[in-house]
Amino acid sequence: MVLEVRRATCRRFSLPNSDLRLISSPRRGFPLQATMICIDNSEWMRNGDYAPSRFQAQADAVNLICGAKTQSNPENTVGVMTMAGKGVRVLVTPTSDLGKILACMHGLEVGAEANLAAAIQVAQLALKHRQNKRQQQRIIAFIGSPVKYDKKVLETIGKKLKKNNVALDIVDFGESDDEKPEKLEALIAAVNSNDSSHIVHVPPGDNALSDVLLSTPIFTGEEGGSGFAASAAAAAATGASGFEFGVDPNVDPELALALRLSMEEERARQEAIAKKAAEDTENKDHASSSNNDSVMAEAEPATNAADDDKKEQPKDDDDLLQQALAMSMEGGSSGSASVADAAMAEAGAVDPDLALALQMSVQDANMSSDSDMSKVFEDRSFVTSILNSLPGVDPNDPSVKDLLASLHGQGEVRSFLFLS
Amino acid sequence: MACLHDHSCEDHNCAADWSLYNHVDIPKVVALNESVPGSVKSVFKPWEQRLDTSGGFLESNEGDPELLVFIPFTSDVKIKSISIVGGADGTSPSRMRAFINREGIDFSDAQNMQPVQEWELAENLQGALEYQTRYSRFQGVANLTLHFSDNFGGDTTKIYYIGLRGEATQNKRDVVATIVYEVMPNPSDHK
Repeated sequence: MVLEVRRATCRRFSLPNSDLRLISSPRRGFPLQATMICIDNSEWMRNGDYAPSRFQAQADAVNLICGAKTQSNPENTVGVMTMAGKGVRVLVTPTSDLGKILACMHGLEVGAEANLAAAIQVAQLALKHRQNKRQQQRIIAFIGSPVKYDKKVLETIGKKLKKNNVALDIVDFGESDDEKPEKLEALIAAVNSNDSSHIVHVPPGDNALSDVLLSTPIFTGEEGGSGFAASAAAAAATGASGFEFGVDPNVDPELALALRLSMEEERARQEAIAKKAAEDTENKDHASSSNNDSVMAEAEPATNAADDDKKEQPKDDDDLLQQALAMSMEGGSSGSASVADAAMAEAGAVDPDLALALQMSVQDANMSSDSDMSKVFEDRSFVTSILNSLPGVDPNDPSVKDLLASLHGQGEVRSFLFLS
Repeated sequence: MACLHDHSCEDHNCAADWSLYNHVDIPKVVALNESVPGSVKSVFKPWEQRLDTSGGFLESNEGDPELLVFIPFTSDVKIKSISIVGGADGTSPSRMRAFINREGIDFSDAQNMQPVQEWELAENLQGALEYQTRYSRFQGVANLTLHFSDNFGGDTTKIYYIGLRGEATQNKRDVVATIVYEVMPNPSDHK
């Protein structure tokens, strides 16, 4: 039983946030697609208003997009071409080999003016000769320099793209004169059929270009969520995996199911306990670390005892376990709490006390993790436990939930509902 | 059902003749320059419903009468004749060019390539006209691409029905396929 807790813990924490390759979401963001990315490497890209320079920010965004597309569907292909520099030329024809794409971005020089019309034509041609004719055609254009064409010309270009069933995404950044946004909006309106084309305006600021793009439809694709983008966005925002319970149902369906079931059971049980522990929690909230250790030490033999002899838990363990509950609310991250659910799925059905003790031991493993994430969650759980102890506050009240949700940003409402 | 042919309909069932629509791989039918994506699938239906527009119809984009329809079949077919029901007020197509067994044709290809056969169409609002094919060239058709390059002066081109007459063989055309083996199966890829 304890072994399984360890295994679940290790799995959860052996996946650093950057290594999202192994996780793929059941909600595929991108259907079968061939994409051509048009990079603006004109003189305007030397400017530093996007850190470190416009060109670098653009390169990062391109890398991110290529990664997202190829991972969401292994048959997707991506190609890259330049709009300025030595001229409009294709650096790499649509391929699913990410290494080739990343390599071609090296040694790109910045200069001259971007030629948008020619670039789109060349991109269309490159897409027309894609190997797999079943892929949808898409062009992503990064437009950082001023647009010298007028609206009519852009609309004709757009209509031609629409006629050939090519979708267009535009990232409008860098130079912004009065007419550029309108012109580009007109272009997108001409191309757009059925919401397949998008435009994103990115003003200069502290946020990196790639971070801003992560939450846009350019990254999230058509079906409203690609696992890579969603988790990357969540990682950027809160430092946690964007998935429920931190485990993807595709990778390990039994684990995900077990987590979900145990969470349901836990929530029902916790509500009962929380009401009982409301007064206790108020006192225990200010427990010192020494109290921590003593509880820890007592929890261990309790765990072992429970292992051998589940049915005969002495009733004075209840006090100990109330403390354990309080500690669980206070310390550690919600991720570990949910992982503890994995073990609790097996133990919880049999013995709730054992489950709590296990949760305790999991948090012990967690204590040393010193990331911002755990601090944030400590705050959350602290706030939640405070709310619990307030008389007359029902944690299941929708307005309370909304408040908590708004306080803690996206997506983690479920996890700390468990805590409440 | 009023059959507009000269013969009497007791001998055979007209509908059965035009039953090649059963062999059209409808989910994979694609049209270029259609104003409503996916509307092309509604033009393949039984002969009796050829004038019935309740399921939608194929219309080109505003100001652009060209249409390109890619029709894959579930097995190889032999096509004897084609019937097109167009729209009124000049929205009927006036020229039709056919290409066989070529995937991924777009407008520039269609305009430059020599078609297998080309027809001048008349306005055919009741679906009584059919256009014969050069049968020897239309044996073993795995997919058919129809390019409607012009219409009778309307702003858009409307097509309500495309009827195909011929025989279906049970053969499948051999295709060299690029196969990707799934590391992780994903149901949405197989829709």
